[in-house]
Amino acid sequence: MNTLFEILHPDFLLRQALIGSVLVGLVCPLVGVYFVLRRMIFLGVALPQLSAAGIACSFFVYRVLVGPHQHFELTERGVAMIGSFAFTLVGLLVLAALERYKETVEARIGITYAVAAAATILFVAADPGADAHMVSLLKGDILATTSASLSVLIGVFSLIVLLLFAFRKEFLLVSFDRDLAVVFRKRVGLWDSLLYLVIGVTISLGVITAGPLVTFGFLTLPPLTARLITHRMLTFSLVAAVLGATTAFIGFYCAYRFDLPLGPAEVAVASLVLLVIAAADAVRRVLERTRTL
Amino acid sequence: MSNTHLVLQGVSLGYGGRVVLEHISLTVERGEFLALLGPNGAGKTTLLRGILGLIPVLAGRIEYGFDRLVNPPGYVPQRETLDPIFPLTVFEVVLMGTYARLSPLRPVGRRQRQIAATCLEQVGLADLAQRPFWALSGGQKQRVLIARALAVEPEILMLDEPTSGVDPGASAAIMELISRLNRDHGLTVILVSHHLRLVRSLVRSVIWIEGGRAVKGVTEAMLASERVSDIFGTLTGTE
Repeated sequence: MNTLFEILHPDFLLRQALIGSVLVGLVCPLVGVYFVLRRMIFLGVALPQLSAAGIACSFFVYRVLVGPHQHFELTERGVAMIGSFAFTLVGLLVLAALERYKETVEARIGITYAVAAAATILFVAADPGADAHMVSLLKGDILATTSASLSVLIGVFSLIVLLLFAFRKEFLLVSFDRDLAVVFRKRVGLWDSLLYLVIGVTISLGVITAGPLVTFGFLTLPPLTARLITHRMLTFSLVAAVLGATTAFIGFYCAYRFDLPLGPAEVAVASLVLLVIAAADAVRRVLERTRTL
Repeated sequence: MSNTHLVLQGVSLGYGGRVVLEHISLTVERGEFLALLGPNGAGKTTLLRGILGLIPVLAGRIEYGFDRLVNPPGYVPQRETLDPIFPLTVFEVVLMGTYARLSPLRPVGRRQRQIAATCLEQVGLADLAQRPFWALSGGQKQRVLIARALAVEPEILMLDEPTSGVDPGASAAIMELISRLNRDHGLTVILVSHHLRLVRSLVRSVIWIEGGRAVKGVTEAMLASERVSDIFGTLTGTE
């Protein structure tokens, strides 16, 4: 209990990291809802890794063209953000454009993941100034969250949430019944592009803040859990976001209390919640079936 | 075009440059109830999708007697094309029809909810509004999709195999509902079907599609033709 009070205290040393964690847990599932509904979950593995490759590439190019950058400065985050966003968005658009070729979708995503993982390591190896801090930035170093980076996170994620709610009927229509959207003469390409942009920005910022593992975990686990217990769109999104934020907080608590690595602790908690709810859902189905027999 | 809803002039349709239908010329009058019939794979759905603007017209032109942007058609797709992973209630599905006339940033309001409720009543499913859409039977789902098409407040209703995969009793009820909407509300109806027995007593006109061509005629005359009777015989044998 003391640990809980300590974490919630306004002077808590890692307060910014805690807020960053909860924000990633809150917003990634709102985007992840569309990953699950559009059956793009595998993309959720490849894109964060592609984002990490973008960060490594941008540092490498910056080092070659400009020179060494200072750690913990906004320039460093800016460079990382540009590389991460460019790689994520280009990867997302290319993979989405090839989506119609269903028979090779898994191969494409697998290749993207392998190439991105290899490119990340190669860019770091080729960078003469690469150090432990840079490697930790690639994995996502949420404990290093500064007040400036937290402000950027809050600002961008607020915009993401606003866009997702303002255009939820358009995003739902093009995702659920694309043909109907065309019949209604909606700008399907525009809405798809906007959704991909929102996904790209969220993944980029998520990876820079918390790393590929946590970003992928929160893109998929809370929406998959929420899908088991909700039957309408709005509650599906809201429950996914609340589950994400709550599991992020509990994961943070466990990591701090038991001295565990933060990212894996958060993903483990989110996975546990999914397992418990999936088991409860399976029991409920069996009971219902037994009752009808 | 005053009394004409659709005019197709020398239209060719297909996929990826491959022509499925060509030189299609026909008109559809307001208030008409017509069925697109023909053997499997003949191009019935292709013609419907071409009229709806879902596939490009390869040659010729389609003239619409209504503004598709302001007053889009009501469209009922084959329900297998919809993914059951979406958590939607019956009411949410019907409400989607009202999006046709809502611009971005304009939220769903009381009027849209009223329209959706009325359309659900019209198809006799008002009691199921809050049920999960995927928990319904095939026939009920089809009725919900018809309600969604009605929520567009269309002048023309286009349905792709509305009785496919539905039991005979529910199929008859669906066809009766569509017939009533045509009769009582003056809706122009175009439907794709291969259930000839169900369709022949209800529709007034038939577009027979075969071998890449389409021929339109009055139901009795079309069904009486020797060529069509031969095929009908084959099809009814497989029904």
